[in-house]
Amino acid sequence: MSVVLGIETSCDETAAAVVDDAWRVRSSVVESSIDQHRDFGGVVPELAGRAHVATIVPVVRAALESAGLDVRHPAIDAVAVTAGPGLIGSLLVGLAAAKAYALSWDVPLVTVNHLEGHLFAPLLETPDLAWPVLTLLVSGGHTMLVYQRGPGDHEVIGETIDDAAGEAYDKIARWLGLGYPGGPPIDRLAGDGDPTSLRLPVSMTGDDLDFSFSGLKSAVVRAGEKRPDLVVADVAAAFQGAAVEQLTRKLRRALERYDVAGVAIAGGVAANSALRAAVAQIAKDAGIAAHVPSLAMCTDNAAMIAAAGLARFGRGHVSPLDVSADPNWALADVRP
Amino acid sequence: MGVVIALAIETATTACSIGLVDGSRREARLLASDRRHVEVLAPGIQALLADCSLRASDLERVVVDRGPGLFTGLRVGLATALALADATGAGLVGVTSLELLAHGAHGDGVRGRFVAVVDGRRGEVFTQSFELGDEVAALGAAAVERPRDVVIAWATNGVRVTFAGDGVARYASDFDAVPNGTVHPLLVPPVLAALELAGREPGPVAPLYLREADAVANFVTRDGA
Ligand SMILES: [Zn+2]
Repeated sequence: MSVVLGIETSCDETAAAVVDDAWRVRSSVVESSIDQHRDFGGVVPELAGRAHVATIVPVVRAALESAGLDVRHPAIDAVAVTAGPGLIGSLLVGLAAAKAYALSWDVPLVTVNHLEGHLFAPLLETPDLAWPVLTLLVSGGHTMLVYQRGPGDHEVIGETIDDAAGEAYDKIARWLGLGYPGGPPIDRLAGDGDPTSLRLPVSMTGDDLDFSFSGLKSAVVRAGEKRPDLVVADVAAAFQGAAVEQLTRKLRRALERYDVAGVAIAGGVAANSALRAAVAQIAKDAGIAAHVPSLAMCTDNAAMIAAAGLARFGRGHVSPLDVSADPNWALADVRP
Repeated sequence: MGVVIALAIETATTACSIGLVDGSRREARLLASDRRHVEVLAPGIQALLADCSLRASDLERVVVDRGPGLFTGLRVGLATALALADATGAGLVGVTSLELLAHGAHGDGVRGRFVAVVDGRRGEVFTQSFELGDEVAALGAAAVERPRDVVIAWATNGVRVTFAGDGVARYASDFDAVPNGTVHPLLVPPVLAALELAGREPGPVAPLYLREADAVANFVTRDGA
């Protein structure tokens, strides 16, 4: 049986986890520096980098110990680490530490694409899930539709042409004065608002599977400015309705073209309650499985990185110790 | 001092160097001088250990330059040293780039007043003054200053002084103009000096940034939550 230590530091979460090749999460530890970034309305790269240095070793030690492993001689077969995409100063901390662990324990290093990591989240909660799966990968930095034939065998079939969905949430929340990150407060308020209060255009109604979110923010602001009496909850509800409508419309269209056994959502925006409900309904209508990960598995964690690393390691991928990080590493460029 | 096998890591400038002491054997290697810290450091350590017929688990001390210096390089060096020490059980010793320059100059025979000057970018330098006699004694705390202010302070107090570090090279015309000053050609904190300090008491090590983080948020790349 293979056991892998995963390390993730691409943004503001410092995370480590131990996962085995039965897709069992033996431990998963996540420390976030989000509280340091809130006041700035976004992640401050230098603060994130500093936080990673302060927490990386205690986080790895905690993950090893809670998996019952000895930090000097852990029974692991490889160290998997996120090498991109992400903030370069953050990625380098995890990568440098991962190399030092691999060197110290004399085990192979496996670099992992962060987005591929997200694709493994559903598998960690449903180890026997049936393939293929259509996954809507939505986060603050990315919005894409991925056709997955199996673990580590995937194809990007649609992508945002401008902003990510999570970015749109952050921008609207900033405009409404709801703080950062924007997803949770908008999701909370939307439940009390009237989604029909604002007439918003649905972007990207074409036949392709791509997304666009940059126009949505300006549409909300334009419509909102004409209506000074507008209630914040109504704006949140209308925006969330339009965002989720675009995401699910494309997912439905993709389902017409791809014969799959299930649909999944992954990434930070997969924590959104409206999206979770909509995707569950789409799967139900199509008579296929819905893989809606727990909230902890939607946000950045190292279990998903360890899992992606296990799959890569199993296919013989090992990275040399001189490998560097790539802050713009595209999922489409990941070699299967 | 009791410590027989120690590894030193220096990444505070654009250069990346490592050193190893194993009994009477002492070796220093410059791995790169163009900011490729993350690429060269781990393979460099692996090769140096192999060339000395050692395993990482043989290390008794890891000495690391904790700054001040280039933030990215520092973090690569620190993350490497912290993980290496935790995984091997080696004691971790933190030294500063400024004291390494002082010890390096001292080893080269420089005596009297000495100012270590590390390039801090953005028109600033990280500095610290030392008195180099039989021993190396720090005269004040490490500070971040404008090079012009350092130069004016020393030129006006008239004390004979020696400067060294990549900050001196960056602002060569300023430092050359100090009439009572001499420039010593040591640019990078010497890793051999770090090995000499390996006998210090090991303990927790944190980076020495000397500057608050730039609070410029990145709105595009956040991927989680
Ligand atoms: Zn993510």
